Amino acid sequence: MSHVEVMTGNQAASTAACLARPDVIAAYPITPQSSVVEDISKAIAEGKLDALISEVESEHSAMSVLEGAALGEARTFSATSSQGLAFMYEPYFRASTLRLPIVMAIANREMISPQTLWASAQDSLSVRDAGWIQYYVENNQEILDTILQAFCVAEDKRVLLPINICYDGFYLSHMSERVDVPDQAQVDAFLPQCYKPDHIYLDPDRPMAVDPLTNGDLLMEYRQKHLEAQQRALTVIEEASEVFFNLFGRHWDGCVEAYKIDHNTKGAIITLGSMTGAAREAIDRLQSEGLPIGLIKIRVVRPFPKTELRELLSGIKAVGVVDRNVCFGWNTGIIYQEVLAAISGSPSIVHQPFIAGLGGEDITIEMFETAARQVVTLAQKKNGSRDQETIWLRSVSEEVHK
Amino acid sequence: MSVLDVLDRPDVISPGISACVGCSVELTLRTVMKVLGRNSVLAIPPGCMGGVGVVGWDKKSGAEIPVFFPLLTNTASMLSGLRLAYKRQGRDGIHVVAFAGDGASVDAGFQALSGAAERNDRIIYICYDNEGYMNTGYQRSGATPKGAWTSTTPYGKLQIKKDMPRIMADHRIPYVSTCSPAYMKDLVEKVEKAKRNKAGFSYLHVLNPCVGGWGFPPEESIEIARLSVKTRYFPLYEVVNGEYHITVDIPNPLPVSDYVSRLKKFSRTSEVALTEMQELIDQQWQELKALEQVGVNGA
Amino acid sequence: MPHDYVAPVGVEGIYIINTGKWRIQHPVLAEEKCVKCGKCFMFCPVGAIKRRDDGYHIDLEYCKGCGVCSHECPTKAIQMIGEEGK
Repeated sequence: MSHVEVMTGNQAASTAACLARPDVIAAYPITPQSSVVEDISKAIAEGKLDALISEVESEHSAMSVLEGAALGEARTFSATSSQGLAFMYEPYFRASTLRLPIVMAIANREMISPQTLWASAQDSLSVRDAGWIQYYVENNQEILDTILQAFCVAEDKRVLLPINICYDGFYLSHMSERVDVPDQAQVDAFLPQCYKPDHIYLDPDRPMAVDPLTNGDLLMEYRQKHLEAQQRALTVIEEASEVFFNLFGRHWDGCVEAYKIDHNTKGAIITLGSMTGAAREAIDRLQSEGLPIGLIKIRVVRPFPKTELRELLSGIKAVGVVDRNVCFGWNTGIIYQEVLAAISGSPSIVHQPFIAGLGGEDITIEMFETAARQVVTLAQKKNGSRDQETIWLRSVSEEVHK
Repeated sequence: MSVLDVLDRPDVISPGISACVGCSVELTLRTVMKVLGRNSVLAIPPGCMGGVGVVGWDKKSGAEIPVFFPLLTNTASMLSGLRLAYKRQGRDGIHVVAFAGDGASVDAGFQALSGAAERNDRIIYICYDNEGYMNTGYQRSGATPKGAWTSTTPYGKLQIKKDMPRIMADHRIPYVSTCSPAYMKDLVEKVEKAKRNKAGFSYLHVLNPCVGGWGFPPEESIEIARLSVKTRYFPLYEVVNGEYHITVDIPNPLPVSDYVSRLKKFSRTSEVALTEMQELIDQQWQELKALEQVGVNGA
Repeated sequence: MPHDYVAPVGVEGIYIINTGKWRIQHPVLAEEKCVKCGKCFMFCPVGAIKRRDDGYHIDLEYCKGCGVCSHECPTKAIQMIGEEGK
C-alpha cells in the first residue's frame, strides 16, 4: 500500500530513484540538487537500498561512471544542476548516442554569470539537442511519479535513450509538499526489476567492440535510428503515463497537459515546470471574469510533442509562451521558439513571447494575469502582427517592461 | 612459467592494426593482453591505439575481447562504473583494464584517473607514455620532457616532465610500477602483479619510444627504450602498498647524452640543457633510493 | 539472430588491416646462427615471429618490416632483405 509523506522535491526524487531498484548511482553535490545524492547515500549506508554508489570527484565522472555501469548492464541514476550539467556535457551527449537508458534528475538552476544559485531551466534547455529525453514537471508528486515512468520509457526497446526529469531548483527541490509514496510491490508491478540490454554491453562472455571508428554513412544510420527512437518515445511516454494512471490513479497527461481549454478558448498561455501552478490560478481568475483564455503545460520538451500541441491550438487565435530561460540570438525564450516551430504551419495564430522568473525570480499569479490579458487582447485584435516583441515580466517595478 | 611461455599465449588484439612501423606501444599492448587474458574488458581512449584500429571499424572489432572507446577525459571513471556493475553481479574475476596514452592520463584524463585512484577502485590502468600527443601529430603533453621538440614546442619544451608514477604512488593505491618494453620479464611480472591485485587500483606507467615523434629508425625502438633505463632517464621500480622497490637496478648508469643524442627531438638541446637534464635524473634517482628506504608512508 | 545496430558496436568479426603490404624489407632467419633465445619473438611489435617446438619461425603475413627482430638478435641471425620492386 502507498503512504503519504511530506517531502521536498529532492526527497521525492531520491525516494523514486530508490524505488526503481537502481544498481549503480553516481552523483556529485551541487546546489540545489545535493540532498538527492545525500539521501541516496544514506539509504545505501543504512541498508535500505541495495545498490552501489560511486563517490565521484566531479559531474563529468558521475556521468562517466554511469555510462560504464550501463555498459555493464546496470540500471543507473544520477542528479545534477546547472554548472554540473555543463561540466558533464561531454559524457552527457554520449549517453544518448550510445543509447544508454540512464535516468538523471535535474534540479534546474540558472547558468552563471552573474553568480547565482536559483531556478531557471537555462541549464537543461541549453542541452536539449544532446539526444536525451527531457521531462519538465510541476510539483513534487509529479517528480516522484515521472522518475518511475522515466525508467520504464528509457529501457523500453522502442526507445533506449537516457532521460532527464527536470524540476525547478528551490521552488520544488527545497519546498515540502504532500506526496503519495507507492510501496515497492506497486512499483515492481509497474517497472521491470532489472535492465537487460542486447543492443550494447561489455561482457567477456559475449565480446563486442563498443563504439568503433565509424564512417559517415553508417553514422547517419545511427543518427536516423536515434531520431526515430525519439519520435517513438512520444507514444511510449503516453503509454507509460496511461499504465501508471491505471496502477496508481494519477494522470500526468503524457507529453502535454491542456488546462481549461475548450472550443470557446481564444487564447492560451504555455508554461513549463513549477510556474504552472501560478498560471492555473491566473487562468481560473480570468475565466471567472469570462475571458476566453486557457493553459497548456508542456511536460516533455524532447521529443517535442508538436502534433499534440498543434491539435490543442487548432481553434486558438493567440498564444503566449512564458519562458524561465532565454534563447540568445532570438531575443525570446527557448520554449517560445519550440512552439513557433510546431505551429509554423498555422498562420492564423498570433504568438507572444514572455520572459520571466530568471535567476529564481518569482513568477506571480499577477504576472500571469498580465500575460494572459495581453494574449486575449492579441486574440481579439484583427489583422495584428504575428510577431510580437518579447515582454519581460519583472517584479521590481511590478509593471510590464518592453 | 617462463616469460617466453607467457608471450606464447593467444594474442587477442587484431593481427593487423595500423600502428607505425616499429611501434613499441603495439608490442606493449599485445604483451599486456597476453598476460591479462580473455576475461578482461579493455578501454582504449582516443590516442595512438584507438586511432590504429584496436576498437575496430564500423561493425567490426579490433580485438577478440570486449573493447571500447572511453572519452579522452573519462577512461578511469568509465571503468569505475563498469567495475561497480560487475561487483553488483558478483563477477569479480573480470579484469577491468585501461590502456591509455599520456595525454589521456597525465593531462585531460587526470581528474578522472586521480578520482578513481583516490576511491581505490579495482582497475588496472596502463599508461603508455610516448611523451606527447603523437596520434594527433606530435604535440606537447605534460609528459613531454624539457627541451624536447614537439610540433607545439618547435624550439623545445620549457618545462619538465610531470612525474606521473610518483603522483599516482602518492594516492597510496596498492600497486604502482614503471615498465619498459625493453625489459620484458620485468614488464610481464608487473602486469601479473596488477592482475593479482584484488585490493584496489593498479597503475602501470610504460615509457614507449615513438619512432616518428622522437625521431629514430624503427628497428631501434627497443634499444631506445633500453637506453632510457640504462641512463636512469626512466628508472624501473614499483610501489607495493607504499613500499618503493627499484626492480632493475642500474649501478653504473650511462650518461643521459647517450640517450639524448639518439633522438631527433633533442637535436636542439644545448649543453647547458643537457647538464640540467643529467642533474634532474641524478636527483630523481637519489629520491627514488631514499624512497626505497622510507617508503611513501615514511615508515 | 543478426544484431540490430541500435547503438554503435562491432560484432561482425575482427577488423584486420593488411599491414604486410606496407613492408619494404623483410626478415630472413639463418637457422644455423639461431641460438633460440626468443628475443625476436619477444620484441616483434606485430607478433609475426611464431614459437614452435623446434625454434622460431617468421610469419610474414602482417610483418611491417620494422627490423626490430634483426636489430635485437644477439647472434645476427636475422637479416633484413629489401622487398622486390620496392
